[in-house]
Formats: sequence, structure tokens, C-alpha cells
Amino acid sequence: MRLITKATLLYLFIMSLVFSLGGIVTYNMVMKAVAKETDYSLAQNMYLLEDAIREGKPLDALQSSKTRITKVSTIQANDTVYHFSDTLAMHPYWKRLEPYRKMTITRKVDTAYYRFSMIDIFLETDDVSKGVISVMTRLFFGLGLILLLASFLISSWLFQPFQRTLQKIKSFNLKENNTITFEDTSTKEFNQLNGFISQMTEKAQRDYVSLKEFSENAAHEMQTPIAVAKGKLELLLEDDNLQESQLPLIQSAQAALSKLSRLGQSLSLLTKIENNEFTVKETTNFSEVVEQSVITFQDICELKGLALKSNIEKNVLLSINASVADILVSNLLKNAVRYNSTDGWVNISLNKKQLVIENPGHPPNVPTNQLFERFRKSNQSGASLGLGLAIVKKICEVNQLKVDYVYTEGVHRLIVKLP
Amino acid sequence: MKLLVIEDEKALADNIRSYLSTNEVICEVAQNYQEAVAKLNVYSYDVILLDIMLPDGNGLDILHYLKEEQSEAGILIISAKNSLDDRVAGLELGADDYLTKPFHLSELNARLKAIYRRRKFQGFTEIKFNEIAVDTNNHEVSIHDKQLELTVKEYELLLFFISNKNRVLTKQTIAEHLWGDNVDFLDSFDFVYQHIKNLRKKITAADGQDYIKTIYGLGYKFHNN
Repeated sequence: MRLITKATLLYLFIMSLVFSLGGIVTYNMVMKAVAKETDYSLAQNMYLLEDAIREGKPLDALQSSKTRITKVSTIQANDTVYHFSDTLAMHPYWKRLEPYRKMTITRKVDTAYYRFSMIDIFLETDDVSKGVISVMTRLFFGLGLILLLASFLISSWLFQPFQRTLQKIKSFNLKENNTITFEDTSTKEFNQLNGFISQMTEKAQRDYVSLKEFSENAAHEMQTPIAVAKGKLELLLEDDNLQESQLPLIQSAQAALSKLSRLGQSLSLLTKIENNEFTVKETTNFSEVVEQSVITFQDICELKGLALKSNIEKNVLLSINASVADILVSNLLKNAVRYNSTDGWVNISLNKKQLVIENPGHPPNVPTNQLFERFRKSNQSGASLGLGLAIVKKICEVNQLKVDYVYTEGVHRLIVKLP
Repeated sequence: MKLLVIEDEKALADNIRSYLSTNEVICEVAQNYQEAVAKLNVYSYDVILLDIMLPDGNGLDILHYLKEEQSEAGILIISAKNSLDDRVAGLELGADDYLTKPFHLSELNARLKAIYRRRKFQGFTEIKFNEIAVDTNNHEVSIHDKQLELTVKEYELLLFFISNKNRVLTKQTIAEHLWGDNVDFLDSFDFVYQHIKNLRKKITAADGQDYIKTIYGLGYKFHNN
């Protein structure tokens, strides 16, 4: 939910509370005021009747449907106090019970005591509450409408700098070396936010660059000590005093060193592709690259007892660095050979739309799209480094190619969609 | 063969010297650019082994220097960077070959010998090992003067063995020599065994002696009993 929608809804909620409370208070105040006025007018009428009695008018002439005067001989102490109450009485014309205000009091007029009992029609509570509710709802809807309009108009203006900031963060790419710059806004909070984001992105970029340099240097620096260790082992092999049981130890140490060195090289290759060090775009005859790889792998497939079939369309041109294209194809072929079934086959086909490499094999243990992640292997203990497909993915990303891994009915299928 | 190793990492230079120094090879080491130039001024070498990254200068400068001096020495570049640009730059400046660290010493040995042969004899060279003769110019092998039909890989394998005669070669080393970078995904080295089996068969069928000795669990050794 948008912030402004949230705020508006909250306002509307508070408004409805305020207006209902306001309605109740208003109703009560109106009722009180009306009662006071009615009582006052009853008292005034009584004074007029007192004057009439003093003038000697007969009591019968003063009686009416609303007024009853009786002469009393004795009084109690509290009878001389005004006594007001609400009552229901028959309306003379409407012939139905209506709320009335009633006043009773005993007064001394000249020398005699008279008991006054007077009623007057009272404002109906229904009418009051109806009036209050109608006023309140009109106010509520009027204000609400204005609030909605205002909030949406203001938000588009007030939140403009915020939207711009969001847009900039969205288009920010750590790998591109351009910093984010913000224009000053008149809102303090947005300025703080922008300043904070600038600092953060700059730091992230600095860290990214140093990490990149570190991984590249580490991969290079690693190779010399590995070369030294490998050489020492080879010198050890020349020693005639070695026992036969010691030889496999040297062999496995050498194999581990080779793996370590390949790991370094693969990681440094990934970093290089990531750093766009192969951006020198050239038009490469992709068909030739694929054909060359097929020739290289023919031999290996024969040794592994795999049938390699290829169907390559001539002169498929691609805007890609030739050596990167070669790495792409050979990594895919390596994968197809490595995860093949015994006496299996490898199919490679290339046309202007796509490159497809297929091979039979065991179903992958993890979802196929996860196999493009670094060090993600179907068989964790296998001899592979788990970087081949990560390199494939990276090459595809950098060169605007799309790669998909599908496993259906016992066949692994890697599809590279050409642009 | 006189060899100059220009390498700043002393341990690596020592490895190379101990491995390569034989009756046929005299090996000297220079640990930096200055030392290398000083040596090159005074002596002449058949082959120079050059590390591109030196503490006091780029190894490519030495290539420039040798070019100016019109040196006839063969040059093999070793570098920790498996960078195409460096490789191309090196080869364009007259280097004969390029080897990426880490390398097998036997691989280095084979490459150095190949460079030496090309430089010294302008390619017209026949390597003889008893009854086996290898014509490296035409990639032909004959036993008892009878030509032997070998596949490309078998030829490479035989040449690698002869270049490293009397040395222990592990299956890994042989595989990397024959298949280069593509070897990393072959989980077993059975195919090395296949090639060696075929080579053996062909040599013995031509009445050649079987010089390939199997070292159990490790690899092979090509030697003359």
C-alpha cells in the first residue's frame, strides 16, 4: 500500500471517530439547551397566569389542555420548588403520544396557594439526532473528499524528490563505475536520505573494486607458490630412493595442486569476464568456433566411448570475443562429456537461433537453474570445480545471450539462445 | 644447451635448475631485470626462460632488449597470468613459446628442447633414441628405418617421452601435455593408458624395444635398460 493511501485511510478513520464523538456531544448539548429554553418558557407562562389570577380571572377560564391550576390549602415544604420532568402526552391534533416537558410547582398568589401543573411540547429526540447525523455525515464526506484530493495532489508534488531517488537507486549498478549524484531538495529528510545513499553507494563501489582487485591478484599470486610446490614434488619423483608406497602420495599431492591452480584460474577468468575485460567486440564466426571445439572433443569422446554428433549451420556470426566464445562452447561440451551416461552420446546443433548441446545422464540432484551458481555441483564430491556453468552463465550475461538448462526424459539439454 | 632462467622466485628457479641441469644442459639463474641484462651482455645463451613479472621491470622489456641485440637465443615465457594479451604480446616480440604457471617441469623440459631444436638446427632435426628416429620437421617416426604410422597424439606422446627420457612422468603430466586445459574434466586417466597401450603395440610390432616402463599407481618412465 502506498504511504499516502495509508496516511489518508488513517486520517479518515480518525475523522470518523471525531465526527461520531462530535455528534454525540452536539446532540446532548442541543437537548440541554432546548430543555432549558422550554423550562424558561413554561415559567414565563406561569408568571402570566399568576398575574391573571391576581387580576381576579376565574380559574376555570385559565385552564387549558396544557395548563392545570388547582387551589390547595396546605403545602409541604418541597412543593414550592420548581419541578421539571419529561413526560408523554396525547397531541391534540396528531392524536398520538408526543414527548412533553412538564413543570409542577405550588405558588402563593396574594393569600392563597395554587398548584400549577403545566406541559409544553418538547423537541423530539428523533428529530435532533437525525439533524445531528445528517450534518455530521455531510461534513465527514465533504472533508473526506477534500482530504483525498489534497493528499493525492500533494503527494505527487511532495514525494517527487523521493521518487527520483528511488529511480536512481533502481538504475544503480555496482559493477558500473558511475556514482549516484542527487540534486538538493527543500525537504530536510530527503536530503539526509540522499546523502546517506550517496555515501553508501560510494563505499559499496570502493569495496567492490578492492575486492575485485584482491581476487584477481590472489589468483595470480597463488600460481607461483603452486608452481614451486609442484616442481618440488617432481624433483622428489626423480629420487631413486623412493619407495613404491610413497609414489601415490606424491601423485595425489600433485593432483590437489593442479586442482587448486585450476580453481584460481577459473575464478580469475570469471572475474575478468565480470570486469568486462573481454569487451573488445569482434564479429566471430561462431560456426567455426563450434566446429573447432567438436574436433577437439572428438578424440576425448572416442576415448570415453561417447558418440559425438554435430549439426552445425555454416557462417553463424556473433558479436563476441573469439576466445570467450571458445571458452563458452568448450565448457558446455566438457559438461556434456562429464555428466554423460556410459556408452552415451553428445549432440551438438547450431543454427542462427540457438546452440543446443544434449546428452543423456542421471537426473540432476538440484534444480537445474541452480547449477549455474558457483560451486554448485550435482555431485558435491566429484572432481569438477563447479565453476564451468557459472562461467557459461557469466559469458552469456555479458554478451546478451540467454542460457537455459532443461532436463527431460533422461536428457540434459543446454540451450544458448542467440540474439 | 646453455640456458638462462630469469625468474625472481628463488624456490622456483632452484626447482628448474635442479631438474634441468644434466650433462647436456648448463643452467644459470638471474633473479631480476638488472642481473639478467648484465648476464646477457656478457654471455650468450641458447634458450632463455623468462618470467614476465619481475620486481624491477617488465619481462617484455628483456624481449625488446634481445630484439635490439639481434640475439639468436630461443625464448620461452613463463607467466602467472593466463592472459591472452600477454601471450600475444610476448609471441609478437619474438618469444618462441608461452607457458602458464604452474607448469610441470617435464612439460617445461619438453618445450625448451623443442625450442632448442628449432633454433639450433632450423628444424632439420632428427632425434634418435636407439632404434627409434623422430623427424620433428615432418612429424614422422621410424624404427629400424621403417616408417611407423602414429596418430597425432601418439606422436606427441612419444616425443614427450623421448624429451623426458629417464624421468618419471605422472599420468596427470602426460594428460596435461596431450590435452592441455581440457584435461581438467576427465576424472580418470584411463585414456592416457589407452594411448600408451597403442603406442607400445605399434613400437613392438615394428620390432622396437618397449622402453615404456609402468610405475604402478603413478605413471610411466621412458628409459633404456
